[in-house]
Amino acid sequence: TQICSIFGGAQRTTTGHRTLVVSLRKIQESCCFEPIKPGKKGRDEFDEDDFNVEIVRCVIRLMGVKKSEGVGDRIVRFLGSFLRHASEKDAALVPESEIDETGSFPETASTRLTSHILSILLQFLTSKEKTVRYRSTQLVAHIINSLDSIDDEYYHLLKMGLLKRIRDKEPMIRVQAVLSLGRLAGNEDDGDQENEDSDEDDVSGLLEKLLDVLQNDPSADVRRSLLLNLPLTPSTLPFLLERARDLDSATRKALYSRLLPALGDFRHLSLSMREKLLRWGLRDRDENVRKATARLFRERWIEDCAGARQNGEAGAVTEAASPSIDGLLELLERIDVVNSGVEEGIASVAMQDFWDGRPDYQEAVSFNDPFWNHLSPESAFMARSFNDYCRQQTNDEYETLVEEKMPEVTKVAIFLQRYVNNLVESLRRNSERYEGDEEDDTVEQEFIVEQLLHIAKTLDYSDEVGRRKMFALLRETLATVELPDEITKLVVDVLRDVCGAEAAGEREFCGVVLEAVAEVHDAIAVEEPTVDNKDESFHSARSEISNTTPTKAKGPQNIAGNNEEEDEAKAIREIMINMKCLHIAQCMLQNVEGNLQQNVHLVTMLNNLVVPAVRSHEAPIRERGLLCLGLCCLLDKTLAEENLTLFLHCFKNGHDTLQVTAIHILADILTSHPSLLTVKDAEDADAAALQKSIFKLFSKGMKAEHKPDVQSAATTALCKLMLISVIQDEDLFKQAIICYFEPATKENASVRQALSYFLPVYCHSRRENMERMAKVAGGVIHTLINMAEELDEGEDIVGIGMVGNMLVDWTDARKLVVQDGATVSWDEAGKKEVKAVNGDIHLDLAEDLLERAMNHGCSKEDKKAFIAMLGKLYVTANSGAEKLRNTTELVVGAIDNKIVTDAASRNALNKLHVALSKAMGEAGKSKKGAED
Amino acid sequence: KASATAPSKRKEKEPFEINFASPLDPGLAEMIYTPALSNSAISLPKTQWKSKTRNLLPDDKHFNSRQLLRLFLKPKARMGSRRLVFGTRRQITTDEVPENEMDEA
Repeated sequence: TQICSIFGGAQRTTTGHRTLVVSLRKIQESCCFEPIKPGKKGRDEFDEDDFNVEIVRCVIRLMGVKKSEGVGDRIVRFLGSFLRHASEKDAALVPESEIDETGSFPETASTRLTSHILSILLQFLTSKEKTVRYRSTQLVAHIINSLDSIDDEYYHLLKMGLLKRIRDKEPMIRVQAVLSLGRLAGNEDDGDQENEDSDEDDVSGLLEKLLDVLQNDPSADVRRSLLLNLPLTPSTLPFLLERARDLDSATRKALYSRLLPALGDFRHLSLSMREKLLRWGLRDRDENVRKATARLFRERWIEDCAGARQNGEAGAVTEAASPSIDGLLELLERIDVVNSGVEEGIASVAMQDFWDGRPDYQEAVSFNDPFWNHLSPESAFMARSFNDYCRQQTNDEYETLVEEKMPEVTKVAIFLQRYVNNLVESLRRNSERYEGDEEDDTVEQEFIVEQLLHIAKTLDYSDEVGRRKMFALLRETLATVELPDEITKLVVDVLRDVCGAEAAGEREFCGVVLEAVAEVHDAIAVEEPTVDNKDESFHSARSEISNTTPTKAKGPQNIAGNNEEEDEAKAIREIMINMKCLHIAQCMLQNVEGNLQQNVHLVTMLNNLVVPAVRSHEAPIRERGLLCLGLCCLLDKTLAEENLTLFLHCFKNGHDTLQVTAIHILADILTSHPSLLTVKDAEDADAAALQKSIFKLFSKGMKAEHKPDVQSAATTALCKLMLISVIQDEDLFKQAIICYFEPATKENASVRQALSYFLPVYCHSRRENMERMAKVAGGVIHTLINMAEELDEGEDIVGIGMVGNMLVDWTDARKLVVQDGATVSWDEAGKKEVKAVNGDIHLDLAEDLLERAMNHGCSKEDKKAFIAMLGKLYVTANSGAEKLRNTTELVVGAIDNKIVTDAASRNALNKLHVALSKAMGEAGKSKKGAED
Repeated sequence: KASATAPSKRKEKEPFEINFASPLDPGLAEMIYTPALSNSAISLPKTQWKSKTRNLLPDDKHFNSRQLLRLFLKPKARMGSRRLVFGTRRQITTDEVPENEMDEA
């Protein structure tokens, strides 16, 4: 009847829903409130029950509609709108007095209808057909989300029914169930607590279940729906925010682009949570998540601080408030910039994105003299990040902008000097203070100085006056014993730039830094009135002194009551000063590129500072000395050659950290001097032995499961050396691949992630590498299958099929980044012609796999894995004719001997056979063509 | 390309509609009213109720080409004379790939 035609209309398009809702309501009114509208013809014969039955009839029709049909969704929406409209109308009809009396909504025609529909839907929730379950759950979800209240009786039944559906087989049904329950949980949470009796346990039970689903449901859609539909309360928040690391990028993005903006003022979040959210979001692997996070930061969080939303929640803030620098400074404070603004901290990234998206703030900032005179950590960081941002842009406009806003070199030097002086004074006060005195907090001062130095790193030192000013300041600063390490490093870095790039600049740089080292070292002498006759030379063998101090200090001069405590304090101070000297030297060496022997300063430093340190008995000095020695080796091949065994020794006998250092040094040395690893001929026994022990080091390092740092250092170093073809050893390569797949490295994310980057890059970058992969692939599969059999319970390994797919991909010649010249040529018209890529590599792989599979000792599992790979190979006419023939013979042999019996394997073999025949045919033809 | 999209569009032009007026098809009725034999037949296997990782990513180490191209001890210096150009190389080729496809088309 009419109702049918209304539903018929509603399924076609949503645009007419408004009017259809109104007309359906009219029918409902005429059926239910006859006395109000008397005289209407033809409708009197229908009463409320008939109306409800008719509606339900239509609802039942909906149940069989597949999920993919838009028709179904439109009907669902229509019903939702109608029920809301009808309930509102009904509620308006009820006199207010009645509401007050009962305290809840009275029964009306619409609530009866809703209940009726729900009662029908309830039985469908457990239907055998997923479509029916889906539509019924969907409609329930929609009704629940459209209405303000639901009859108590049905409420509980529904909850029971829906709770079963959150474990439905079908993700789409779980999504709908979760949408309903999310709403129910939210409702109960809102305020029903006081008047509801036993519901309290119930609510927390419901929430708990939903949170459990949020964490454990295998479907990302379900998790995402929950994320966006759970009530935001202090108890749910940690679970919701945890989704910032969800496996699914769309879910992570939803958190940043929808949940967090809706959350209100970010300042309610804890400091560590803010930092985590920023860090995770801005460093996400997915670009969309990064973008969403950047927007959140520069559009929402800043507004929370800049105070645009003071006039109430006027919906979404569309127009941003005018830039407020104070707001920005507060924002920086709220993300704890003193900690998050350090090197590799997240604040720098956040601010780069901030400037990028906020030209209004770029415009608004100004850095005048008073600004520089009253720097806070936040304002210093703001200036530094603005400076970094502008200088990284390739656009000239930014260069002009930054030149305009930033002070010139001389001024920066003056400001820097002021803050350095303050800092040094505080540091000195601290070191001279008496026990119990309050220590000055220098963290903020240090931070400010660091920011200024970062700015200084980017300046142009062509202006001689400014350059000299800066040079003098840095030179003087560097000689400060108390200077914190991070600042020392920055000072040295800036000093390197100030000295100019050419060789003469480098010499000047070394000279001036070593002067500072000497001055710092002299501080020992100043402290030590008992002049040791050896001690006047330029940083003489201090390490010897430090070793012998405990005994020597008891010499005749010390009779005057020097007790052991003082001696000890003195010894510690000496160690600290030596450490400082070595640190300066290390920072310097990191900035030096020229040959060591040609730089007299460096030779002196090596002999007088580094070598004694390496021989020191104080472990920290020795280790820092080793690092410096390593750096020197990078500049001098002979020195490197002489010391390789020393570093190998450090790896063999050192503790974890020293092992990591040794790996780093060796890897860098081999990178800088690759020829050290070449074995010229069989006679060259020394070189062969050296190579062997270096390979052994990497092999051992990769096996260091219980020392994750060592393992990851060894793996990363090996990856580097293989990529630059310094190491080409097959066994090590195979070990690296196995390391990637084996369960033992599962916990070591840096090993896994390094390898997952390295393996495809390595294989796809050069043909030789890919050939190497083809050679070891069969062995890798074999090893992994054995490994899988010996697994302990609870451990799991990547499926062998997946490994096979990856190995096939890594040996697919079409994926080579640089194709051989032969495959890409240019035809007469200058158009690029791409010939089929040479397919030899996969044929080699096929031969190897087939031979292994036909070997009598081959296990069933191995055979299956090998043959599964065969079906996926790239076979082309553009391959060696002999290879094609050999492989074909092998395949035919394998098929004839029936080495496999299952259908999948047989198919794979046949597939390869067909591909080979086709390729041979084509090859034959083109050969003929060429001969004719 | 045009020929490929045309037939699929034509298919969509016969939209599915619910006939609300007609009586319920017995097949459909059976489908709608048959409840599942057991709860487990329509539910997620229990083994999938819990996820070991809580469906969270492992810690990101942000491994990238930059880390492979620099020395451990001198992070600022790029690797020696035989400089690697993976980053750029890869970009060039990804740019080239679509070009090839267009050439063929």
